[in-house]
Amino acid sequence: MKDLKHLYYFEKLLEDANNELVRKAKEEGKKCVATVCENVPEPLLNLPGTFSVRLRAPKTGSMEMATYYMTSFLCEYSRALLERAIEGGYNFTDCIITPDGCTMMNRCVENMELLKTMGKNNEKFFYQYMEIPMKADDNGQNLYVLQCKNHILTPLKETYGIDISDEALRKAVAEHNEVCRLIRQIGEYRKEENPRITGYEFHIITMVTYVAPKYLLIDKLRETLEEIKTREPDEKNKYRARVVFVGSEVDDVDVIKLVEDSGAYVCADRFCLGSFPGRDEIILNDEEDVLTQICRQYMYRGQCPRYMNQEKIQARRKYVADLAKEYHADGVIYEQVKFCDPWAYERMVGTVVLRDDYKYPVLAVDRPYSIGNSGQMRTRVQAFVESIEIKKIQGGRK
Amino acid sequence: MAKEIGKDRLGDLYSHGKVRRRREWRGIKDTWYDYTRWLWIMKTLTLFLIKPRNIKGLFRYRWMVNYFAVPMMVDRHTQGLRGEYLRICHLEQDLIIEDVAKLLDNLFRGDRRLGNDTEFSKKVCLVDENEMTAILMGFPTVKGLSRETPATYVSVLLNQNAALHYIDVAQEYGLPGDVCPMPEAEAGVSIDDDYPVLGACAVQCNTTCDGSLMGNGVISKRLELEDGIPVFQLAAPLRHKEDDVQDYAAQEVRNAIAFIEKHTGEKWDWKYYFECAKRVNESTRHRMDWLDMNKTDYPQVFGSNLALYTETNYMAICGKIPAFVETDRKISALAEQAYKAKKRAAKEYRHRAIIWGVQSHYYMDFLVWLLNCWGIVPLTDMLSMVSTKMIAEEDTPENREQAIYDIAWLTENMIMRNRTHGGYKVLLDELWEYCEEFHADMVILWEHMSCKALDGMHGQFEEKARERGIRLMWVNHDLFDPRIVSRQGVRDQVNRYMRSVLREEPIDPSLEILPDENSW
Repeated sequence: MKDLKHLYYFEKLLEDANNELVRKAKEEGKKCVATVCENVPEPLLNLPGTFSVRLRAPKTGSMEMATYYMTSFLCEYSRALLERAIEGGYNFTDCIITPDGCTMMNRCVENMELLKTMGKNNEKFFYQYMEIPMKADDNGQNLYVLQCKNHILTPLKETYGIDISDEALRKAVAEHNEVCRLIRQIGEYRKEENPRITGYEFHIITMVTYVAPKYLLIDKLRETLEEIKTREPDEKNKYRARVVFVGSEVDDVDVIKLVEDSGAYVCADRFCLGSFPGRDEIILNDEEDVLTQICRQYMYRGQCPRYMNQEKIQARRKYVADLAKEYHADGVIYEQVKFCDPWAYERMVGTVVLRDDYKYPVLAVDRPYSIGNSGQMRTRVQAFVESIEIKKIQGGRK
Repeated sequence: MAKEIGKDRLGDLYSHGKVRRRREWRGIKDTWYDYTRWLWIMKTLTLFLIKPRNIKGLFRYRWMVNYFAVPMMVDRHTQGLRGEYLRICHLEQDLIIEDVAKLLDNLFRGDRRLGNDTEFSKKVCLVDENEMTAILMGFPTVKGLSRETPATYVSVLLNQNAALHYIDVAQEYGLPGDVCPMPEAEAGVSIDDDYPVLGACAVQCNTTCDGSLMGNGVISKRLELEDGIPVFQLAAPLRHKEDDVQDYAAQEVRNAIAFIEKHTGEKWDWKYYFECAKRVNESTRHRMDWLDMNKTDYPQVFGSNLALYTETNYMAICGKIPAFVETDRKISALAEQAYKAKKRAAKEYRHRAIIWGVQSHYYMDFLVWLLNCWGIVPLTDMLSMVSTKMIAEEDTPENREQAIYDIAWLTENMIMRNRTHGGYKVLLDELWEYCEEFHADMVILWEHMSCKALDGMHGQFEEKARERGIRLMWVNHDLFDPRIVSRQGVRDQVNRYMRSVLREEPIDPSLEILPDENSW
């Protein structure tokens, strides 16, 4: 296929947390709100005068300092972020808002605070820790709304004078929705038998929407969608199987690439920094206050394994099965960053349920934060692809 | 063989087998007392086993075999103890044994596979091992039973290898080996279908950590989807020090109570609740008195005595069983007596230590070893430093509303949870405050290697200890799995520090290296 016009540009944006668009927005006087988890409602961080950045640590090498502070038993994502923070890599941000989501991320941000790694030359820099619900119900929703008020909106208003009115929130949701629509439309092309966009390309396009100011990206996303509409796929489909990629945080540009280089087309992405459910639109009505509506939709659509009620747990597996069906997947890859407790359990049970109850072949893997050219991972995916092919040939169970 | 404290070489009692060579001679009076308590334990076990359904349970449930090691467990905790200390230890341990025996008896009574007493089972609400049972303080007729407590928690106290099979089961099922082995083993028991099946309903709690929370999902899957037992997940807030989470926490408690009422058909009883609340407060006052004594030169209730008893009394009992308050009073009387006489539990006290972090379950008597081998007095430990807040205990309309918040507070401040959640201040900053309060010259920091909440503060502990000039000794372990770090591996870390950093010689050199790798 012909290269997408803006792909190289998007890839360049992902090479640095403080990327070109972040710098541009900062030059325009906007405040950069950092976060580390999908459970912080994104539109609330993208109000007039602010933009959000999900922290990443591209090109991570040594994590020795972070390993000293948090030992080698914490997940590499949390250690990579702390290492980058210690190096001063996040001093472009104006605050960080984090939920007490998983223990490791919480400890990561606490270490950032204790080590005074951020807020250089910005006396107004603040850290906020949120309590977020672990069950989707009315009580959880009330908590979510209150926490968003107390730990996002009020500090932004009081510290930086940000407009947090309903009107401002609606504007942020509208911008958010436009990005979501574009991503979803681009992603729809992954359903094709011989798709005109690779999983890798889609991953890159989706990921930039989490790490760069959205208003500066929208034009390029629109252009990319138009380009894909008329893009000619390769004559022969080079992939031997189609998989849904499910799991914990994936911000390494090489992960999906490696899977696809091993013969498996990633037709759907259900992971933190993926498009499901992160790029679902937020539908607002005119009757209820905007914040409540945003929180409710984040809570009920959330696929994070920390939601602990059995109804939510079962729904998570069905969600994956539905994606596999809709995107015509032959199998599912469950992955987790090594040492991630929530996804360790989710991966274990999800693998069994998807295999036994939904009859999908499943590969379960754990991986380092930066996968690079992992031979182990490549071998496992290749073997998985072969096993799917053999099942197809033999006409056995899916 | 000596009556005096510290005269014997306690290490000589160890053999390479499961039990020790012989019982310890403590002088006529103490040996006789210890022997009568041993007989009492054997009687409790016999009375338990005399029931046919309990014998069936012994053969049905793999973990039951560990209960043959009960007398040995008590012996491990009474090593070197004399007089009041020996009696305090027995009062605590024997009551816990009795309580666990009743728990097992009730579990087997309602178990669909064994007793199958359906009427009894209809009044049972299952709870987690790691859960404050405060939500049952208003249900006099509902039995709150924990299946994980006897299957894994107590089993590992009895036999260091008790959880290994279940850890392996969970890993064979696909769980990585780097998660905390406690919820891992609990999930393994469920995967192995080795829990008694009973109850009208269950209440799980988002307890100490992500692993525990996620392990509950595995257990509730079997409970709800296969056994047909409805489960309520009590999601207590993690940032429990914040004011803006308390209304939410209270509502969770209200919802949990409504759930129990619905499934057991029982009604919340305020009279019973406030009776329990009075006992909770009295137990808290006793605990505070013991801690106050431990701040002086003559600590009395400390080490594993304090840790194990507090865990049971604070979390599992919550004022529901009057025998625990009665025992509190007896312990306080003995402690007071020993304090006035300026008695000490070992022949030499060299260091005053705060024990922080999550202790090794397969080596719970490590604190006794610390005292006897190196003269390190474990003044208090992280799991014993729980809420000291008095809860409302008079039945008034205002207090009924307050009571819901008190239950929520207790649930949020469950053992370990009150330190592993709630931000770094409760884990890190408060440790140094305790060091000052207790005049400690040393911190022994258990590094349970798969406890992410503790690991995540590793560097901060080191830096802050250095700034304050406090000796910090790391002791690695893997909570339920002695294959990763053995008991001797735990001891070696202390031995190395004491010899190479502090240049000290042990008080009892026979304890430095012990052949207990095959021991229960």
